[in-house]
Amino acid sequence: MNEDMTELARLGWVDPPLPGVLDAAREVLWSAVAAEMLATAPPDGTRAPGKAAAGQTAETPISQPRRDDPGA
Amino acid sequence: MRRRVETDGALIERSARGRPDAFVEVVQRHEVAVYGFLARRAGRQAADDLLGEVWARAFAGRAGFDPVHPDARPWLYGIARNVLRAHWRAARAADQLPGRLAEDPWDDVIDRLDSAAAARARELVGAVRALPAEEREVLLLVAWEQLTPAQAAAALGIPQGTARSRLHRARAALRPVLAQTAGEDS
Repeated sequence: MNEDMTELARLGWVDPPLPGVLDAAREVLWSAVAAEMLATAPPDGTRAPGKAAAGQTAETPISQPRRDDPGA
Repeated sequence: MRRRVETDGALIERSARGRPDAFVEVVQRHEVAVYGFLARRAGRQAADDLLGEVWARAFAGRAGFDPVHPDARPWLYGIARNVLRAHWRAARAADQLPGRLAEDPWDDVIDRLDSAAAARARELVGAVRALPAEEREVLLLVAWEQLTPAQAAAALGIPQGTARSRLHRARAALRPVLAQTAGEDS
């Protein structure tokens, strides 16, 4: 920053936020993150994407719609 | 071997492609800076209330962020600016704030300074307050948030050349006051 901005920058000094403030704001974010993760999770919520198909084929072939599939 | 640090752009891109939790690291990197942006313009209490709204909006809009940018601050300040505008609009609508004060945080700036500094700074504050709003915004993004003129342009959604010329005009207008302040110091 140029020297002629130093005095102006000093005017803008504020105390850092209290830790609780940052935590509370992060809670808002975590709610949004959790909502999105839940919305995109597989219906049974136990398998990671990519691994689901391998474990699934014997019991519930992918070509067959499952009862809890909203698109079925 | 040292772990390679992901850029903000890479984290945001990853968060938009199936790993939404990657966005949390971006927030942790910039939460103090964004809080400062809000607090400098609207006071600490409003900043306390509005910071979560900035994160919610940023997360919801992250697909629109161009991951080529390594630093997300200009984008986040642009969002924080919109959150502040909405806050001031709502406060004005509820008659909690007189119109001019709602858009002008400068009285709060003076209140935050100790009395000796306030007396010295009053002239500078007056000069900054007298700047056209669009010049003032560029100036403060550079002076307070330490953005480059190009980053300030991104935060405000204006061409870089426009930001540079506004900054140039603002600095030229403040030069006499700043020179006088420097003279008092010596």
